[in-house]
Amino acid sequence: MGKVRRLVLDVLKPLEPTIIELAQQLSELSGVEAVNISIYEIDRRVENAKITIEGDDLSYENVDQVIQENGGTVHSIDEVVAGKMIIEDAATLQD
Amino acid sequence: MGFFARKLHELREYSDLADIGVIARRYFAMNAFDGVLTIIGVLMGNYAAHVRDAKVVIVTGFSTCMAMGISGLWGAYMTESAERKRDLDDLENHTLTDLSETKIGRASRVAVVVVALVDGLAPFLAALVVLLPFFFSGLLADIAFSYYASLGMALVVLFAVGAFLGKVSKENLIISGVKMIGAGLVSILLSYLLGVGK
Repeated sequence: MGKVRRLVLDVLKPLEPTIIELAQQLSELSGVEAVNISIYEIDRRVENAKITIEGDDLSYENVDQVIQENGGTVHSIDEVVAGKMIIEDAATLQD
Repeated sequence: MGFFARKLHELREYSDLADIGVIARRYFAMNAFDGVLTIIGVLMGNYAAHVRDAKVVIVTGFSTCMAMGISGLWGAYMTESAERKRDLDDLENHTLTDLSETKIGRASRVAVVVVALVDGLAPFLAALVVLLPFFFSGLLADIAFSYYASLGMALVVLFAVGAFLGKVSKENLIISGVKMIGAGLVSILLSYLLGVGK
């Protein structure tokens, strides 16, 4: 089975633990090379985060477990890249 | 990472998540203060009633210490449990998930235990320290010296609590300590007047 190299997730999480702690914990998972978390909406007690993870062999189960352990929920998987290398989505006429 | 280092790291993480440090600090100062003033009341009551048997002072004083400890432990446990549950429920309503088995849920449960322990132990230990001279009253010529030493000890503990608060608020430690001693002196004076009126 091909290796997952990039995951882009839409996550709802409490304000605490902070995204700094969450990013550090995700970056410690095996197969992860880099993590990017950006907040695009903030509420009184929760925030919506876009989490981008890249690595040579990502495990979605492990990533989801860390997010849940920190009180977050994955709302959607917005992008996945798998295979020998990372490719961006191809531009089409509709774009 | 060793077992203790891991547990300490977890505790620090829970402390950040559930604000344990701030609440425990508040409870510690408030209840140590309560403990000392209550035991001053017990001591002055015994003094005014002309109790000259150290054993009686120790029994009444120690019972008071225990009652304050149990009261703090039980009261804080019930209050914190209720408040933390309400807070977690509110957060769960926002995330629409069960958070009890997450880091947040565990931090909340640890907070209840730590805060209850601080709330119970602070008055118990502070009052017990004040009572200490009576355990050595056999070595002193007159029991009156035990009373004086205990009241002196009470003022020292009050000063220490005041200085601790001064350190928290980054104010002058001595001024803050002296303000606390003021409360002890007022309490001693009023109880003394009660005894004189008898």
